[in-house]
Amino acid sequence: MQTFADGDEVDLVIVGAGAGGTVLAQRLARHGWRIVILEAGPFWDPDRDWVSDEAGSHHIYWTQNRIIGGENPVPLGKNNSGHGVGGSMVHFAGYTPRFHPSDFETFTRDGVGADWPISYEELKPHYERVERELPVAGQHWPWGDPHGYPHAPHPVSGAAERAWAGARAAGVEMRVGPVAITNGTFGNRPHCIYRGYCLQGCKVNAKASPLVTHLPDALAHGVEVRAGSMAARIETDAAGRCTGVTYLNDGRERFQSAAAVAIAGYSIETPRLLLNSASARHPNGLGNNRDQVGRYVMVQGASQVAGRFPETLRMYKAPPPEISSEQFYETDPSRGFARGFSIQTLSPLPIGWAEHVLADGHWGLALREYMRDYNHWSVLGALSELLPDPDNRVTLADEHDDHGLPVARFDYTETDNDKANIAYAKQVMREIWEAAGAQDILTIDRYAHLIGGARMGFAPESSVCDADHRVWGIPNLFVADGSALPTQGAANPALTIMAESSRLAERLIAKRVDANAHRDDSSTPAPV
Amino acid sequence: MSAPRNGHEERGTDPRPENPKRLPRQRRGVVPQMRGRYPDWDVLTQVDHWDEVTRRVVLARVDDVPPIRFFDESEVRSLGTFCDAVMAQTEEPRIPVLSFIDDKLFCGRSEGFQYASMPDDQETWRLLARGLDERARSLEATSFAEAGVDVCIRIIGELQRGELSGGVWERLDPQLTWKVVMSSVLDAFYSHPWAWNEIGFGGPAYPRGYARLGVGLKEAWEGEEAFELDPVRDVDERGLDL
Ligand SMILES: Cc1cc2nc3c(=O)[nH]c(=O)nc-3n(C[C@H](O)[C@H](O)[C@H](O)COP(=O)(O)OP(=O)(O)OC[C@H]3O[C@@H](n4cnc5c(N)ncnc54)[C@H](O)[C@@H]3O)c2cc1C
Ligand code: SF4
Repeated sequence: MQTFADGDEVDLVIVGAGAGGTVLAQRLARHGWRIVILEAGPFWDPDRDWVSDEAGSHHIYWTQNRIIGGENPVPLGKNNSGHGVGGSMVHFAGYTPRFHPSDFETFTRDGVGADWPISYEELKPHYERVERELPVAGQHWPWGDPHGYPHAPHPVSGAAERAWAGARAAGVEMRVGPVAITNGTFGNRPHCIYRGYCLQGCKVNAKASPLVTHLPDALAHGVEVRAGSMAARIETDAAGRCTGVTYLNDGRERFQSAAAVAIAGYSIETPRLLLNSASARHPNGLGNNRDQVGRYVMVQGASQVAGRFPETLRMYKAPPPEISSEQFYETDPSRGFARGFSIQTLSPLPIGWAEHVLADGHWGLALREYMRDYNHWSVLGALSELLPDPDNRVTLADEHDDHGLPVARFDYTETDNDKANIAYAKQVMREIWEAAGAQDILTIDRYAHLIGGARMGFAPESSVCDADHRVWGIPNLFVADGSALPTQGAANPALTIMAESSRLAERLIAKRVDANAHRDDSSTPAPV
Repeated sequence: MSAPRNGHEERGTDPRPENPKRLPRQRRGVVPQMRGRYPDWDVLTQVDHWDEVTRRVVLARVDDVPPIRFFDESEVRSLGTFCDAVMAQTEEPRIPVLSFIDDKLFCGRSEGFQYASMPDDQETWRLLARGLDERARSLEATSFAEAGVDVCIRIIGELQRGELSGGVWERLDPQLTWKVVMSSVLDAFYSHPWAWNEIGFGGPAYPRGYARLGVGLKEAWEGEEAFELDPVRDVDERGLDL
């Protein structure tokens, strides 16, 4: 691996080797950019560092403390972001749907959420390119902007067969995929072996994560990944430009000098870093003159409904992501709420299933009895689009982490539209199980996926960065991860995060965004 | 550590009342309390097919149970009783749930989040021990561990439903406490290979993988289910939800 000295001013420092950061690095490195990625977590060796085991996988999650509040606090830890080279996709399930064209203009169409400063059409070529690179396997996709996938659909498990039969009987269309799991060998990555541990990190390397998809090419083109390096502060000069990143490595504070900085630490850590970078010139943190940093953080309503069948289904086999439906994705006024949801199979392993049983109210003998029945259940999950709200936000807590840095606090409260969406989605999933002939049905509420917190928009009054991911007021600082997304639709976000970075890289390479241009905080971006 | 016993001794192969009628006795390997649905399934016979790193992590749970270092003796008594009761571990062999939790707290392994209204996990567990004892004393017992199974179950039900107040419970939201501690209890119990035997989980399958995915299918090496019963009706009929 190429290495750079701290004092050597590189073209770009990227904070976070996850979905957004790694794609950005790989694209730019191919055009000669000199890049250092600072990654707080380790540089993984899947064979040595990961296990086929739920409880033994906590080290791949971001488990440093975070405070959660609001009326509907969102548990983080294993249910959220990753920690280490590859980021959260190391333990993501593997679903890689695109957003729908409507997602980019929910305010115009439905009067809710926010319009994006970019359109689906601008992202489409990048969706297609990233789908080939991961590569994505699935059936032809009839929803949103209809499209096909480069790899054929995977075979499905007994648990998914039951769900699919129920969906057909209930009039709900489902399709196999789309998953970023190789169906066939792909370069040096073998075929999936259907072992079911996708959320614990794929030791086989069949499931895509930047560690196996984009990082090898980035390294081959001279990118340095500095693992074990926690960015503490983005530094700025008197002119208001950033000069590099102060970070902690092996207990030592160091500074990497750079001509430009991109933050890609995901929806909690990116706003935290912007806030922790407060200085005399930026007393409220970077990009926060209008009190926008950390606002509009979203999760998706991820309620689970399980159906019980007389036959054994052994849902631990095959990847948890198997079949999905986007039939309910768009607004339907007759449902009584704006926007929609998708439905996907989930197939939790034993600890995940025990949490489901507990959430349904069972403990002691009842819990043991439900658990003995593990092999008879199949689980569907919804992804309900929950709307962005300025008060659902990341702030700095009074507590500090091991480095002495203030930790993030995340407050979350559902709106009435959110509650109605979740309730409706659960009803549809119950109807699927009834139509499938399930003997019994268990329903629980939970959340998934973080988005927002440093969203892109049209003006600094209502966003943190512009259509080119550039933080308002700081011409050489970019946000290149899930925190830049203004809405999150009812689709899993990773593919969109990668496509966004791919688009940003293209614009930087073509010099359509000039990382050296000077602008002030009140200007609107030039039309592009 | 003492645990609530229900006083029913096992007679031959007769089922005890806390189990469904005809739930088989384990014939191969170990399951907690020796009854499960897969009497001939021992996931530990498969360890040679697991990768080395996974094997080390899983076998340590059986062969290398961590010593108690975080909790003091009195905490061990009340929390041991609590862990046994919430998992219905009425007799040996038991999965040593509290030992794994103690190890996690001693080593300071965090879950990655803390409710704004709650203390950190270490403090939560210590306060839980005190809160259980306080409540037991208010019900005329000397401590939670000495209170007997009915009182323990009553107190745990109050915790789960958020019905505890006063004393420790002014600082500790009972329902959030329930969520926080049960997440660790479930993690400890269902990560143990004896629990995998009980529920017929095939376990780690790298590098071998799974090949027979369809309805009703199993790999040749997986366990056969010998007993099947819909728990929703059964639990309801036997009034097990407390
Ligand atoms: C259980 C689970 C299942 C999921 N399933 C799916 C799915 O099926 N499909 C899907 O699309 N999405 C899924 N996701 C979400 C998806 O993984 C994330 O949305 C996506 O990876 C986020 O990309 P990112 O680039 O924003 O951040 P990440 O990929 O999280 O990368 C951020 C990186 O930055 C590092 N970092 C953070 N702060 C600092 C700092 N200060 N200094 C240095 N480094 C730092 C982190 O360690 C991390 O490696 C799932 C998530 C979870 C938790
Ligand atoms: S099921 Fe397939 S993709 Fe998932 S972890 Fe196993 S081998 Fe990897």
